[in-house]
Amino acid sequence: MSITAETAKEHAKDPAVLCCRAEAGVTIEAANLEDPAIFDDLVDSNLLNLDGALTIEQVIGATLTKTCDSLTPLTADVLEGIQAVAAPAVEEAPAEEVPAPEAPAVPPVAPVAPHAPCAGGVLKIHIGEGKDIDIEMPMGFNHGAAMAEVPAQVVPVAAPVAEAELEPKVIRSVSRKHYKITEVRRGPETKIEGTVLYIREGIEEEAVASQELVHSLKIDIITPEQYHTYSETIMDVQPIATKEGEDEVGTGTTRVLDGVVVMVTGTDDNGVQIGEFGSSEGYLDENIMWGRPGAPEKGEIFIKTEVVIKEGTNMERPGPLAAHSATDVITQEIREALKSVEDDSLVVDTETFEQVRRPGKKKVVIVKEIMGQGAMHDNLILPIEPVGVLGARPNVDLGNVPVMVSPLEVLDGCIHALTCIGPASKEMSRHYWREPLVLEALHDEEVDLCGVLFVGSPQINAEKFYVSKRVGMMVEALDVDGAFVTTEGFGNNHIDFASHIEQIGMRGISVVGMSFCAVQGALVVGNKYMTHMVDNNKSESGIENEVLACNTLCHEDAIRALAMLKAAMAEEEVAKPEKKWNPNVKATNVELISKTMDKTIELVANEQSLPMSQKRKEKYD
Amino acid sequence: MGNLQILLRQHVGAPCEAIVKAGDRVEKGTLIATPTGLGANIFSSAYGVVEDVQEDRIIIKPDEEQKDEFVPIAEGSKLDMVKAAGVVGMGGAGFPTGVKLGADLQGGYILVNAAECEPGLRHNILQLEEDCEKVIRGVKYCMEISNAAKGIFAIKKKNEKAVARLREALKDEEAITIHLLPDIYPMGEERAVVRECLGIELETTQLPSAANAIVCNVETLARVTEAIEERKPCFSKNLTVIGKLNGGNEPHVYMDVPVGTSVGELIERAGGIDGVYGEIIMGGPFTGRAVEADEPITKTTGGIIVTIEFPDLHGAKVGLLVCACGGSEERMKDICAKMNGEVASVARCKQAVENKPGAPLKCERPGNCPGQAKNNIQFKKDGCEYIIIGNCSDCSNTVMGSAPKMGLKVFHQTDHVMRTIAHPLYRHLRVSKQVDQLPEGK
Repeated sequence: MSITAETAKEHAKDPAVLCCRAEAGVTIEAANLEDPAIFDDLVDSNLLNLDGALTIEQVIGATLTKTCDSLTPLTADVLEGIQAVAAPAVEEAPAEEVPAPEAPAVPPVAPVAPHAPCAGGVLKIHIGEGKDIDIEMPMGFNHGAAMAEVPAQVVPVAAPVAEAELEPKVIRSVSRKHYKITEVRRGPETKIEGTVLYIREGIEEEAVASQELVHSLKIDIITPEQYHTYSETIMDVQPIATKEGEDEVGTGTTRVLDGVVVMVTGTDDNGVQIGEFGSSEGYLDENIMWGRPGAPEKGEIFIKTEVVIKEGTNMERPGPLAAHSATDVITQEIREALKSVEDDSLVVDTETFEQVRRPGKKKVVIVKEIMGQGAMHDNLILPIEPVGVLGARPNVDLGNVPVMVSPLEVLDGCIHALTCIGPASKEMSRHYWREPLVLEALHDEEVDLCGVLFVGSPQINAEKFYVSKRVGMMVEALDVDGAFVTTEGFGNNHIDFASHIEQIGMRGISVVGMSFCAVQGALVVGNKYMTHMVDNNKSESGIENEVLACNTLCHEDAIRALAMLKAAMAEEEVAKPEKKWNPNVKATNVELISKTMDKTIELVANEQSLPMSQKRKEKYD
Repeated sequence: MGNLQILLRQHVGAPCEAIVKAGDRVEKGTLIATPTGLGANIFSSAYGVVEDVQEDRIIIKPDEEQKDEFVPIAEGSKLDMVKAAGVVGMGGAGFPTGVKLGADLQGGYILVNAAECEPGLRHNILQLEEDCEKVIRGVKYCMEISNAAKGIFAIKKKNEKAVARLREALKDEEAITIHLLPDIYPMGEERAVVRECLGIELETTQLPSAANAIVCNVETLARVTEAIEERKPCFSKNLTVIGKLNGGNEPHVYMDVPVGTSVGELIERAGGIDGVYGEIIMGGPFTGRAVEADEPITKTTGGIIVTIEFPDLHGAKVGLLVCACGGSEERMKDICAKMNGEVASVARCKQAVENKPGAPLKCERPGNCPGQAKNNIQFKKDGCEYIIIGNCSDCSNTVMGSAPKMGLKVFHQTDHVMRTIAHPLYRHLRVSKQVDQLPEGK
């Protein structure tokens, strides 16, 4: 398709190809030229050979000397008055080769999002002959395509002298006291004795009675020996934690049990799984991606509730909420028991998280899109207890508008996630408790993390744009240099995900997007600000494989996103995505970061490390 | 002569309201329906009796004997007479001419649309060959009414005889010139005429008045002359009948056919259908639609085409490339169904825009392609084996630049018509869009 003058400018260095027949004597303008976005497809189908083609900036304004048909690359022999272009661009070229972009989000089947993006880059420096050549690469611009100029430019820009004087400032802190649990038993009362947790017998009845829609609730204590147990779909994985005294979530002291997690599972009366796009029912050991931020660790004991709710309420908001609330009756009693532990010798570890502001550093914000379409696509924000229910407000009821929280509130359980859709890509409650991007950004001394903005993803498009415009205004008011936008799930929510990025990008703020995309989650929309994208996929085939938390944001994604945002804020160019999803792009980027930081980055395992389930065998692998 | 069915809506705007009832006697030129909003008067086209008044039409049983005389319209100003005569744009658009001419062009242009761009149609050019004076007088009346200083005939260079007649007739007309058009489709699109003659590219939402111009079809101008000189109401139509007819595929031109005559009657008049056929099209190959033989003609009917049978695609997957220049998506789907294809993908030319949801598509730059490779990629990805396109000459050429190499077999929606009338198919463009103009337009 022909392009506009604006697009021609963006693609000034791309080859010039006639979109349609043009007659001799015509002065070439943007409307005569084909959109470079489709060249890959055309070259693939042998429709186009770009050898010898001039660039768009060279041909605009030149006169065609011969009538040429559509899809003719414009070469010097058919043009008069070719525009001279500054030479340096050409001289730089040999220094850099083959920019390999980050896992692209463009679906191979439907290239609806030509701008749908991704980034990264391979730097190859070839030196044919030479002595005493030192090559230094500053950290944080590992994705630049224009590497040749970087060492000269970025170093002085990155460290203006005046700013270096400013001291980091600790705003607040939160401490976690860890209590080790090695055994969970049922008993006459809920209590912690040494490393044994007792859960009161008969508590199930009270849990059921607390919720009208809950018809039954069963507690299973799953020890590592019992991991090969069938389970209904896993609705949530939660840490068991409580605040000390009057402390609020995000400050003071939190007590947390190690070695044990709460797991909510369930169906409705008819046995329908409480899930939407896929569900994770099956043998636990075949359906849990161990060690993901939101998933259990291998070796942990699960206090697993199997909740049955009223038939047909599995897809209505009150149903899943009732299952979570009933489970929380049990968790709350454990929290009370944990609060009353007086023996400090049971504390096996104490961690302190500090919220540090770093004036003078690049100021960044994390925007986390959470589901808010209703049904199980809801999240409880800021309960009184970590990952509790009481005191929290569902983001759907808040109209999904952005809510600002501190990084420590995130890590202290301010989100109780009523997640279900797409088990592999959804963020469980435990995910926030260990959110890797928040942790990385908080600890990175090169950036100043000012906060975490949660925004719900409404069902209706008009509402999506309503909330994304608020995100834009808030981020503008924050005066940040850069922003991350993360999302969970895929499909519908990508509409507002793209819009958040647009709203931030159009304000001249660098923005990196993070989502599961790969093959199945390929972006359905795109815009010109979606140039810096990190794909959270880990699955072998790039799909939603229904393995719990498989494709969620991990440490390896967080460091890539941070490196990319730093590159963007330093105005380094990030290479375009490849046409089709290519997992090697991620591998290359990780390797580059690893080399630059001189640190080994261990990549997490994927579903291939798990025993093969019947479902996976039939549906996916 | 069979019954006449005179439709109450023969123009842009609201349907007219009948002012006669069953049993009334009518004469040629009797006013039988009047506008309820934007519209134009409708007259009986024959002597006879009103047999029925239905929701959308008036049925008239004509007398055996028909005189030439008609009931004249009232005398008045030239504009009033054009309005009273119910003249509408007879090239097919049907916009009430009296309303159009009401504009003050402040020394602008009357542009004569003599492109007759739909292949197969012949009546406009024939009228110029036989009686261009009547049309020229119409131009002058319109210039006077709407305060235009210049008139320009836009006609394809290939129509040598008509051009020669016009040059002869216009040699002493200082204010009227000729602009020659290349033989590509679409040159007769209103905004294309403005661009070719005046060099102004109008937006899809703009009317020619934005360029101080009014565009009128050849026949419309002749009807203006008749209204003013003969006080003749507009109740007849010139048209071309062509296609798979007994006696061959040459065009049959009929002048002054009574409005309301059935398509079937005209086909019989032209010799009748020769054996099995594909469909009957009312209008041109590009913008016409399929009709049944009992459908009546209106003030805007330009062509009746009987086509050969459709090829059978045996249920193959087909992509439709919908464009402002050709049939609507509905028409394209109709053709695909008749070819026994399964619609697997629908794309729209990038330049085809809907000014309002549901409004007919308009081309942003008629006759100048915006590129089509992306649509072909879509068709390929959607698994199409064939594509049916409704594009103009230039866009069809672009489609051919990539579709065959991608393994897509191309049909143009006009193929069955072109094969019927032995006209080259719309595929590659082999003529230039540039033509040399006459010295000073004379």
